[in-house]
Amino acid sequence: MTASTSKFDPRKHVGVHAERVSHVSSTNFPGHHPDEDHSWDLERFAKGLTVKIERLSNRSIEFDLVGVDASIANAYRRIMLAEVPTICVERVYVWDNTSVIVDEVLAQRIGLIPLNVDPALMDMKQSPNDQATDRNTLVFRLQVACQRNKNAPKDTTDPNQLYINSDVLSSHLTWIPQGEQEIVLADNPPAPSNPNIVLGKLRPGQEVDMELHAVKGVGKDHAKFCPVATASYRLLPLVILNPENPVPPHLTEKFQKCFSPGVIRVDPQTKAISVDEEKMRNETMSREVYRHPEFEGCVQLARVRDHFLFNVESEGFYPPQRLLPEATAVMRAKIAHIKRAAETLLNNGDGLGDVEMADV
Amino acid sequence: MNQPQNANPAGGTHPPVQRQDMEYICADCGAKNEIKSREPIRCRECGHRIMYKKRTKRMVQFEAR
Amino acid sequence: MAETTPKIKIMKGAAADLSAATYQIFDESHTIGNALRWMIMKNPKVEFCGYSVPHPSENLIQVRIQMYDGLSSLNALIEALNNLDAVCETVENKYHASLASNNYERWEEKS
Repeated sequence: MTASTSKFDPRKHVGVHAERVSHVSSTNFPGHHPDEDHSWDLERFAKGLTVKIERLSNRSIEFDLVGVDASIANAYRRIMLAEVPTICVERVYVWDNTSVIVDEVLAQRIGLIPLNVDPALMDMKQSPNDQATDRNTLVFRLQVACQRNKNAPKDTTDPNQLYINSDVLSSHLTWIPQGEQEIVLADNPPAPSNPNIVLGKLRPGQEVDMELHAVKGVGKDHAKFCPVATASYRLLPLVILNPENPVPPHLTEKFQKCFSPGVIRVDPQTKAISVDEEKMRNETMSREVYRHPEFEGCVQLARVRDHFLFNVESEGFYPPQRLLPEATAVMRAKIAHIKRAAETLLNNGDGLGDVEMADV
Repeated sequence: MNQPQNANPAGGTHPPVQRQDMEYICADCGAKNEIKSREPIRCRECGHRIMYKKRTKRMVQFEAR
Repeated sequence: MAETTPKIKIMKGAAADLSAATYQIFDESHTIGNALRWMIMKNPKVEFCGYSVPHPSENLIQVRIQMYDGLSSLNALIEALNNLDAVCETVENKYHASLASNNYERWEEKS
């Protein structure tokens, strides 16, 4: 592992002690360490940067981001949660709802359904009162009526057998193409990404009839637009054994049990203790070792300040591996926007002095 | 079911042309009942004395928030 | 979007040569604020940089930059934005390289 050399740089360690943490802030700024150059250098950054995908499933991704500052990792996390756009139902027009769920609650539940629509194919409404067009609005119809099932077995009590449409499901949403949508969205017709979400329950004679308008939005506006279920990171745990103070052979088993399974290896013959580099990331950092005076000085727990273990669970349209690239695209768009404004400021200011000052 | 006679899509209503007899639903048996003024409130089918008013046929708009 | 309000304003009290200035950036939060502050602090010509979100219900951040030797803080800001963009590009490239390498565990998750 290339990162293992830098991982043991003590300057990068956040100390984890029995009742406190230490060395939390990064120190790699110009002027912090005398006679050391910590100024920005893209080449050096690219050399120290590792992005490695560890696990990928159809729903989630785990990857390591090594060699960046917490502010960058946090920006990615925040953007994935709050600023990567998705499509969700925003307006509900109810013609009939005789179910036991009241209109506003049913409308709220419908809003939370993740839809399988590529947000890139739609425009964002600039204001909620903008005219709905085929570029910014999808229309769905939800028309469900419950009936008695005449062919139900005599002695059954299962509502699914007794009645037809006893549940309002997300699969009951039917997409009504508008304008050019039939062609643009032909490859992947809009529908809920999970067809089995129960929105409400019906009994014979009750029905639901509504039109739903879905729009593009971002998570900071409403959590239903969030493209992820979770997006989080933690710092790589580090277990540093002290070679000058080895664990006494008769206590090795007790020592091993102070950590998560697999983190500490014990040689069956020599009873020598070592740390499993691969399993170290599973350490819960329970600090159990610090409770036993016999292990004092044997081990130091730490976390690596610039080694981020991301875990992102996707929900809705995006496959998990697409979320970081989408977040990067949003971040670069934001940077470009600010840069344009800053350059305008630079040019209009005509060098010195007469820049427009805010009246604050 | 879907005949918003008095409604337009924007949710506004025109005043009803004439007063219709109100239909109510029996709370016990679910039968439809017309109740005229000064008539006892009682289901024709089962005799139950609690009635529910029918839901409006007007379109109602909600924000899914 | 119509630029009715500018994205950036320089707050009153800035030095005439902009060697020390506070910038208000609208519609931004800690996401950009903290990353930008870090990148500006990586510049050895910067004496001080800090940012704040003055009030949670006002959607803006304030970034204070003070320069050594009377240099322009606006130039430092633009340089930092360029560098931040390069960071994003590098991370993205390495991510795609790792994705393409196929050197990771694949598994199926029930939903």
